[in-house]
Amino acid sequence: MNEKLESRLRAALRPVAPRDEFTRDLIARVAADRRSSFDARSAHGRRPRARGWWLSAGMAASLLVAAGIQHRLQERHERERGLEARREVIEALRVTSQKLNLVYEVIKNQSSSPADDKPGV
Amino acid sequence: MTGGEALAYPVRFAGDTLTLNEAAPGFSDEQLGKARAGEAAALASLIQAHQRSVYSLALRMLGTRDLAEDLTQDVFMQLSSNLKSIESNTHLKFWLRKVTSHRAIDQLRRRARIETMPLDEEITPSSTVDHGDPLLQRHLRLLLLNLSPPARAVLLLRYQEDLDPIDIAKTLDMPINTVKSHLKRSLEILRQETPNPAPVRCEGKST
Amino acid sequence: MRSCSLRIFLALLAPTLAWAAPNPRLALPEFAALAQKATESVTITLDAALLAIAGRFLDGNDPQDAAAKEVLKGLQGIYVRSYTFDKDSAYQQADIDAVRNQLSAPGWSRLVETRSRKSQANIDIYIMVTNDQATGLALIASEPRQFTIVNIVGAIDLDKLHKLEGQFGVPKLDIDLPKTASPNTKK
Repeated sequence: MNEKLESRLRAALRPVAPRDEFTRDLIARVAADRRSSFDARSAHGRRPRARGWWLSAGMAASLLVAAGIQHRLQERHERERGLEARREVIEALRVTSQKLNLVYEVIKNQSSSPADDKPGV
Repeated sequence: MTGGEALAYPVRFAGDTLTLNEAAPGFSDEQLGKARAGEAAALASLIQAHQRSVYSLALRMLGTRDLAEDLTQDVFMQLSSNLKSIESNTHLKFWLRKVTSHRAIDQLRRRARIETMPLDEEITPSSTVDHGDPLLQRHLRLLLLNLSPPARAVLLLRYQEDLDPIDIAKTLDMPINTVKSHLKRSLEILRQETPNPAPVRCEGKST
Repeated sequence: MRSCSLRIFLALLAPTLAWAAPNPRLALPEFAALAQKATESVTITLDAALLAIAGRFLDGNDPQDAAAKEVLKGLQGIYVRSYTFDKDSAYQQADIDAVRNQLSAPGWSRLVETRSRKSQANIDIYIMVTNDQATGLALIASEPRQFTIVNIVGAIDLDKLHKLEGQFGVPKLDIDLPKTASPNTKK
């Protein structure tokens, strides 16, 4: 039953195109923006790939020699864990700041209309 | 204050392993290089290759064409300023989805519930392929607008952009369990609110 | 002899003192039954080890990550339970009271209590201060269709938490924190 709903969702959510006129305007605006802020230094070499790939590639080479493919898998697992922990931190701080924001709103409203909100400090 | 202030920074990529779809058809890494170098034709190709995805995400998040067009324009203008940091087509797709989703969610959080118009004005390519019941599809799209912004974004990235939960988590900076929880709960809600098509009855009618 | 007796006395007293030391970490239930009913649930448990791992993956060049990195300095744990429901009164106050009761233990003091008739949100912020330093924070927010509990353990800098607004998709409000004892965490 889920599969039927999922296929209906996919059909309902096929990407759609904006108006042609919008596309033309968009291209013109972005091109104008690029022209005005074009930086000659963009001609310099490509930015080196992230260090993480170097470490993985280097480690993979030496570990293959030492038959250490297991170590590479473990490293990848730890990286995923670290990224997931980072996402959880961001989410936790987002929730916290959202609630703090509600408190600040009450305090702000208190100064304008004391009847509705009641902060106590 | 615009919705963009919270996102005025390059999107992290750092070589994350992603399993995203490959580049939009007709847009190569070579063209990306030319767009980064400022070549106008390549930039135009970039926009044409990716605007459907960005616009559709914006439209289904925000609910109206005007808001979707504004957001699409903002996203591509921001991309134009950050093209130098885009490393590949995979990164480009990731960046576009991430920025569009985050900005849409930001906008929705700032606004009261937006009065949305039915999405009749969607422009779809004419096709002889039967994609199913258009009324049911419209009903599903409207139901989507009743979901919370994060849940809506999760569903769109899953069923419009065909991302798996891990990539959705990376795109939205959301824990994987939260992604799965949104998917499960949102599908339950949609299933409950979606009528099953009535069986077709053939009745003899005189004309 | 006297110093020996004193040492023995202190050694005997130490367990009692340790038992009496306030604990900034709350015992948060899993709320499994509520999670089933909720349309959205956020359950985050980040101890010191996980925070350290997360810190390595926060990018200092990214404003959002940099702000998070600043807040994380000195923290030993972040714990969040947040549940959103699709109708009012889907949870009972008794569900939250088990947590709230812990905040009447010694060491905790209520920093802020807000009751908003407009948004129907009740938000209480508690803080634990040890040696003039904030060592724990607890936030309990209950709204008609959502409740949220946040427990932060460690050397909390309230100014940095305050500066979170504007990041993470939350709009900036130009108001100051209430002027309370906001410990300076600099050492």
